[in-house]
Amino acid sequence: MSERPHASSYSSLTEAVIGFAHLARKEGWIVGIQETKDALMAASYGTLDEQDTFKYALKAIFCTNREESERFEQLFGGFWGKRKGAIKSKMTYKNQSNIQRKSPGSLVWMGQGENKEEEKKEEGKNVSGANKIERLRQTDFSKIEEMDSALLEELALQLWKQMSLRMKRKLKASANQGRIDLRQTIRASIGYGGDPLDLRRKKRIPRRQRIVILLDVSGSMDKYSFFLLRFIWSLRAHFEQVEAFLFSTNLVRITDYLDSKDLGHTLALLTARAHNWSSGTKIGWCFQQFNEQYAKQVLSGSSTVIVLSDGLDTGEPELLAGELAKVKQRTRRLIWLNPLKGMQGYEPIAKGMSAALPEIDVFNSAHNLNSLLELENYLVLL
Amino acid sequence: MKELTKDTETITQGFGRLGYVADEELATILFLMLRLGKPLLLEGHPGVGKTEVANVLASYLNTDVIRLQCYEGLDVNSAVYEWNYQKQLLSIKIQESSEKTEAEKEAHIFGEEFLLKRPLLQSITHPERAPVLLIDEIDRADEEFEAFLLELLSAFQISIPEMGTLRATHRPLVILTSNRTRELSDALKRRCLYHWVNFPDEEKEKRIVQKHLPDIEEQLLARVVGMVQAIRQKKLEKTPGIAETLDWARGLQALGYKDLSEEAIARSLGCLLKSAKDIERVKAEGVEGILVD
Repeated sequence: MSERPHASSYSSLTEAVIGFAHLARKEGWIVGIQETKDALMAASYGTLDEQDTFKYALKAIFCTNREESERFEQLFGGFWGKRKGAIKSKMTYKNQSNIQRKSPGSLVWMGQGENKEEEKKEEGKNVSGANKIERLRQTDFSKIEEMDSALLEELALQLWKQMSLRMKRKLKASANQGRIDLRQTIRASIGYGGDPLDLRRKKRIPRRQRIVILLDVSGSMDKYSFFLLRFIWSLRAHFEQVEAFLFSTNLVRITDYLDSKDLGHTLALLTARAHNWSSGTKIGWCFQQFNEQYAKQVLSGSSTVIVLSDGLDTGEPELLAGELAKVKQRTRRLIWLNPLKGMQGYEPIAKGMSAALPEIDVFNSAHNLNSLLELENYLVLL
Repeated sequence: MKELTKDTETITQGFGRLGYVADEELATILFLMLRLGKPLLLEGHPGVGKTEVANVLASYLNTDVIRLQCYEGLDVNSAVYEWNYQKQLLSIKIQESSEKTEAEKEAHIFGEEFLLKRPLLQSITHPERAPVLLIDEIDRADEEFEAFLLELLSAFQISIPEMGTLRATHRPLVILTSNRTRELSDALKRRCLYHWVNFPDEEKEKRIVQKHLPDIEEQLLARVVGMVQAIRQKKLEKTPGIAETLDWARGLQALGYKDLSEEAIARSLGCLLKSAKDIERVKAEGVEGILVD
């Protein structure tokens, strides 16, 4: 990396402020012309006399959230601070868009192309008596052949889109008779000389519910998380209020990554953040993290929490039960989707799963497309 | 007004006189907000005094606060304006026998006297001076409302189909607060100056309590604030804010305590903690237990 820019290398203050704005932009701050202009204005108001004042001024103008505020000190110090002491930023910017990179935890190959190829093929083909699409909808995600996976993905995106459309329609139709809208009624009544003959009604705007999803990406879920992550992405694309988290041994919030309109881009970003995925599971501990850091923010009385996990917990089941109870208190409905439930003869006897059961409102499977589409019924029930 | 916004030092002192301890960072931001004429977005945990900033700013500038409390489902009608329908209906009846034409009648019932001004309209039609417009807990409102607000914050004008466009007589000083239950849109954030309000450190909190309770015993003050600071480090269900600290200190004073004892805590903890589990936990650990770690 080349020498980092510093205020002393500019000939005038104006140039230095502009240079700093450039640097900030390069480091990921959203700094436009307006911000630069404001920064120059601020400098002209005499905030320059003290370094702290100037720092606070630029901070207020450049930052848009807490994380940026916290990182700002370093950025500011590096540029405006004393030359000698300037700490080199530890952040490195490697090319993160290479999604084909095969490293542990890489999402791209998660659950794909692994061993036992033979066995999978056998079972995948055993579903008989249906056309290909129908078969794909019923095939367990873990037994999808690589060849079919692209087709399945396409089908899935299509179906999920339909599902969210249907849900919106259901909400609209169920609220056909609204309150009388006085404003419109009076307007209409002028034509009748003031008698409100024509009653205008106001349609109730459907209350949008917030969906909070926690996806288990531990080793045991490997085969499923590939598709489930795509499922979450498409939910996010069609519902505005979706918060998503990944967990295995730690909890990561991924909501901001899902905003991208391009699934490939989202996956690339997530791959860059993947640390210890596909390792063990500490569900209880992750829920504790969730409760401490995020629950107060993202959960409201009207939200629905969906947990996608097999419930194979290596932590204490008591912890899990306690933390789940806390989540339950703050939500309207707690749904647990377990891919293993699709297996014949499955009983929720794993320690974690049985500890969690009493707190769960809906316990369902999530092993194939059809089971995920069933979720629609639970999300619509208001 | 010019005199009051001379520099950050003046603002810090002025706020101090009004009982608000503003650190240099906040003072700088308020100074910029007044100079650049930009809205200010304050984010932070509940109970760190975000709303209070707007109230103090208003009394500092000797102007009014107009407050809009946001909630899920807040719509433009309850935020901007509404017509007084009952009055309109009556007026239509009264005018039935008059000679006026239909157009005249319509113009009459959509006149200013039938208009109910809601906070946003009030704020831009203030007759005397620029008021402080406090948009509280903007994160609770829907995205659509946020988009509407964006329009208002950039143009400071509101159009009412029946009356035309109303331009701001005085540009209001806008303060938005958010508890961060969801991320606000980048577009809105970019319109605003941003400040994250943290819980105060021990020194600052002592000064705050002293400002509000000038006659508090030194010993009690130090212990109460020390205790609250320690309690905040714990992972409680509801972390106490500054208002709770003040309530607690007042409560202890009212009960006649001059120092913090196990008994004093047991009797007054309800002022500070608002969850049965938290109270139980703090009681179990006791004063020493909490101050030790």
